[in-house]
Amino acid sequence: MHSEYEAVIGLEIHTQLNTKSKLFSSAASRFGDEPNTNISEVCTAQPGSLPVINVEAIKKAILFGLAIDADISKLTTFDRKSYFYPDLPRGFQITQFYHPIIRNGKVTFKIDNYKKTVFIREAHLEDDTGMLKHFSTFTGIDLNRAGSPLLEIVTMPCIKTAKEASLYAMTIKLILQYLDISDCSMEEGSLRIDANVSVKKKHEKELRPKIEIKNLNSFNFLEHAIDIEIERQIKIYESNKNEDIRYLIKSSTYRYDSIKKDLFLMREKDSAEDYRYFPEPDLVPIVIKDADIEFIKKSLKELPHERYEKYIDKLKLNEDLASILVNDKKLSDYFEEALKDSLDPILLCNILTIEITGKLKETNKTITSIGIPHKNIASLVNMITTNEINKKIAKSVIDEMIKNPQKPPLEIVKENPLFKPLDDEEEIEKIVLSILSENSQSIEDFLNGKDKALGFLVGQVMKKTKGKASPEIVNKLILKKIKS
Amino acid sequence: MYKKSAIEIRDLFLSKKASSEEITKYFLNRISKADPKINAFLSIFEEKALVKARELDKKLKEKKPLGKLASIPLAIKDNIHIKGEKTTCASKYLSNYKALFNASIIDHLIDEDSIIIGKTNLDEFAMGSSNENSAFFSCKNPWDLNSVAGGSSGGSAAAVASRMTPLSFGSDTGGSIRYPAALNGIYGFKPTYGRVSRYGLVAFGSSLDQIGPLANSAKDIALSMEVISRPCNKDSTNFRLPEENYLHNIPKDFKKIKIGVPYHFLENLNKNTKNNFDRMVDDFKNLGAEIIDINLDILKYSIAIYYIIATAEASTNLARYDGIKYGERAKNTSSLEELYSLSREEGFGKEVKRRILLGTYVLSSGYQEAYYKKAQKVRTLIIQAFEKAFLNSDFILLPTNAKSAFKLGSISNPLDMYLEDLFTIPANLAALPAITIPYGFDNSKPLGVQLIAPQLMDVKLIQYTILFENLLKTNEKIAPLFDKEF
Repeated sequence: MHSEYEAVIGLEIHTQLNTKSKLFSSAASRFGDEPNTNISEVCTAQPGSLPVINVEAIKKAILFGLAIDADISKLTTFDRKSYFYPDLPRGFQITQFYHPIIRNGKVTFKIDNYKKTVFIREAHLEDDTGMLKHFSTFTGIDLNRAGSPLLEIVTMPCIKTAKEASLYAMTIKLILQYLDISDCSMEEGSLRIDANVSVKKKHEKELRPKIEIKNLNSFNFLEHAIDIEIERQIKIYESNKNEDIRYLIKSSTYRYDSIKKDLFLMREKDSAEDYRYFPEPDLVPIVIKDADIEFIKKSLKELPHERYEKYIDKLKLNEDLASILVNDKKLSDYFEEALKDSLDPILLCNILTIEITGKLKETNKTITSIGIPHKNIASLVNMITTNEINKKIAKSVIDEMIKNPQKPPLEIVKENPLFKPLDDEEEIEKIVLSILSENSQSIEDFLNGKDKALGFLVGQVMKKTKGKASPEIVNKLILKKIKS
Repeated sequence: MYKKSAIEIRDLFLSKKASSEEITKYFLNRISKADPKINAFLSIFEEKALVKARELDKKLKEKKPLGKLASIPLAIKDNIHIKGEKTTCASKYLSNYKALFNASIIDHLIDEDSIIIGKTNLDEFAMGSSNENSAFFSCKNPWDLNSVAGGSSGGSAAAVASRMTPLSFGSDTGGSIRYPAALNGIYGFKPTYGRVSRYGLVAFGSSLDQIGPLANSAKDIALSMEVISRPCNKDSTNFRLPEENYLHNIPKDFKKIKIGVPYHFLENLNKNTKNNFDRMVDDFKNLGAEIIDINLDILKYSIAIYYIIATAEASTNLARYDGIKYGERAKNTSSLEELYSLSREEGFGKEVKRRILLGTYVLSSGYQEAYYKKAQKVRTLIIQAFEKAFLNSDFILLPTNAKSAFKLGSISNPLDMYLEDLFTIPANLAALPAITIPYGFDNSKPLGVQLIAPQLMDVKLIQYTILFENLLKTNEKIAPLFDKEF
C-alpha cells in the first residue's frame, strides 16, 4: 500500500441464527431440504398472515450481545424495509432500523505483534430472503430460507487492513460457534460478509467516499477483495491528483468473483436507495428486563478468548497449538472432553493437534468425524505418560486407532505382539550384545569421542526390537557394556 | 323469522321451534330472492351451510352440547379468511385467491356452531366509504336502492339491514364497520384495537384494523363479542385478555354515567344531523346521564393524519401483491419490472392505486419527516386528548355519519369521500372501542350515533348500549323494501 494512505474498513456480517423455526413463523429454519417445503403462510406472505417473533432468536441475539460486551436494548422494535424482489415475498423485509437489540460492543484479537479492538456499532435481527434458482427457460423461487433469522453485526469504520478484517470476521465466527447460536457454514451461506471500503490520506480526518463489496463467503475472498479494492482506490486518487476527491470514487456496490479473483460492479448508488423504513405495526415493542438478561447470562458458555487464556495460563500449552485448538471449536471441545481423563494436557494437545491432525490431513477427515471416543485418546495419553508404551509405538497405535476408531488402545496393544513393549532387560541385553559384536568399529569411534556412534548403536538395537524397547534402557545397557 | 335477532333465532333452534335446517333454508331462500336487489354477497355457501345445519339438528337430537351461536346464520366480509373458500377482498387481483387457513375469528365462530352462510361485498381491500370501489359491483342501500350501502363493510351492513342474515362481521380501519352500519340503520361495533385477533384478516392499515360485528340488536353484538374476542397468539398485537361476560349484569340505569360531548367540534354539523344528535343527548339526559362539554378540537386533524398513516401501512401491506406468488399476473411481460407494474396495474382499482401511491410518498425519504412522522406525533396528541376527556367522562358521544346515505355515483372527488369518515376515524387512531347505535332518520334514511369508550372498556360500552336499546327501543323500523317475506 502507498504509505501516505490508510484504508478505512467497516464490516457487516450476516449470520443465520440456528433457531429451530424461522424469525416470524413456525416453519422450520433448515438448510438443504426440497425447495418450498419449510414454508408457512407467514414466510410465503399470504394475505392475512401475521409475523410472531421467535423468542429463541431474541435470546440468541442477547447472548451474542453479552459475549461482545455490548449494551442490550431495554426496548427493541422492528421496522419494515421496502423493496421489490421475487425472493422477498412480502415486498418488505422486517428488520431493526430504529431500535436494534444490541449496541456498542467490541471484540479484541491478536494480530501479528499487536492487539486489535474492533468496535461493533450494533447487531440487529432481521429475516432472510428466499433464493432464486435459474433454469434454462425459467427462474424458480425457493422460499425455504425466506424468514430465517439473521443477526447482522455492524462494525464502526475502525478496521485498517484486510488482515484485520479477516481476523475480526474469524473472531466473530468463533464467538458465534462457541455460543452455539449459528452454524456459521460459509458454504451454505449462513455466514456472509459485506465490506465497506474507502481509503484516505493518513492525516485526513474526513472519510472519503466508500464502496460496498457484497456477500463475501470466505475469509480469503474477504482479504483479497479488500486488498485489491484498496489498491484500486489509491490508484484512482494517485492518477487523478487534480480532481476533487469527493467525486472520484462513486458510491457503489461490488461483488467478488471467486473464480476470476476480481471485483465486479453490481450497481452504482447514484441516489441512495429509498427503503422507506417505518415501524412494523404488526409487532409490538419487545421489553427486555434486567432479570431476563441475568437469566440468559447463565447460559453463556466459555468464550474462545477465555478458553485460550485457560490453555496458556493453566494448562501451559504452547501458544500456537493452543490457537489451533481454540480456532477449531470441535477439536477444542474434543480436547476438553478427553482432558477429563488424561494425565498430561500437553501430551494430549500434541497428539490431537500434531499427530492425529497430521495423519488425517490428506483424508479430509477430522478426529470428531471419524469418531474415536474421548476416553480412548485419554487412555493412549495415559499409557504413554506411565511408560506403558513408548512414543514410537504410540504412533503405530494411533494408526490403528484411526483404522478402528472404536477400538481402545489397550486392546490394540494387547492384540498386537509388535506393540508390546520390550521391558525384559535380559532380553534387551542379548540384543545389545549381538549388535555390539557386529559393530566393533562404532564402539571404537565412540571411545574415541564420537558421540554420534552411540546414537547409531541405539538405533540399531531399536531397529532390531522393532522399536519396542525403551530407548532409555537401551542407552543405559549399551553404555554399561561398552564401559565394561 | 326475518324480524328476529340472532339470539332469538338461536333460541328458536334450541327450543326446537325450528330446526337448524329450516332456519338455514329460510335465510338461503331470502338471500336468493333479496340479494339480487342489493348485491351484498360475493359468495354463498349453500351446501356447506346445510351440511352444518343438519349436523346441528343431529347434535340437538342427541342432546350433545351446542355452542353459543348455535344455528345463527352469519355473513363474513370477504377480506376475512375461511379456509378453502375465496377471499377476494373485492379486488380483481385476488378474484381467484382461495384462503389457506381460517382467520382466528372463523375458528371461534365455527366452534360455537354458527352457520356461515356467505361472504359479503366491500370496497376493494376495504378502501372506501361507499362500497363503490368493489371490483365486482356496488352494494346498494336497502333503505334506498339508489343510495350507497356505505363502506367499506357495505355488504355486511346491507345483509343485516335487509335481514338476509341477523349477524355479520366486518373490519374497521377508519369506520368501515360503523359508517355502513349507520347508513343501514343497524348496530356496528369496532372493538378496542388488540381486542380481536387480526390473524386471517387481509391487512389494510395494520395499526388501525379491527374486526367487529354488525347486527340489528346490541345484544347480538354482545354475544358475538364473547366469541370473537378470544385470545390469539398468532397476532402479536392481540391483548390476549381473559374471556369477559358481555351479556350478564346489564346496568339498570344511566345514573352516575357521564357522557362527554365535544360541542365545539360539532358546530358545523348539518341541521338534520345536529337535531337528531341533540335528541339523543336529551335521551341520555332523561335517562339520568350527566352530559359534559369536552374539548376535542384536535379531531379536526383526524382525516389528514389517518390518510397518511393508513396509506403508509397499506402501501407496504399491499406490496406482496406483486404478480409472483398468487393472484393476478400480467401476461406477456418482458421483464421483471414489467411483470410487477402490469400485474399491479391490471389487478388493482383506482382507489387502491391512489392509496398505494400516497402511502409510498409519505414514507419516502425527504418526505417522511414532514408527513409520516408528523402524523404519528399528532396521533399521539389525539390519544392524549381522548385520555384527558375520559378523565371526566365514561363515554363520548359523536355522530357516526354526518348525513344519511348518498346516491350511488354522487361523490366523485376522493377527498369529499374521505370526509365521510370524519367522525369514525378518531376511534381508530386512538384504538378506542366505539359502537354506532341506529338513531333517527334523515330523508327517510337512517342515521347513527356513536358511543365511544376508553381503551379496553368494550364490555361496559356494550352493556350500556344494551341498556339504551332496552329503554328506548329506537329504530325498530326495518327497511320497508325488505320488511316482508320473500
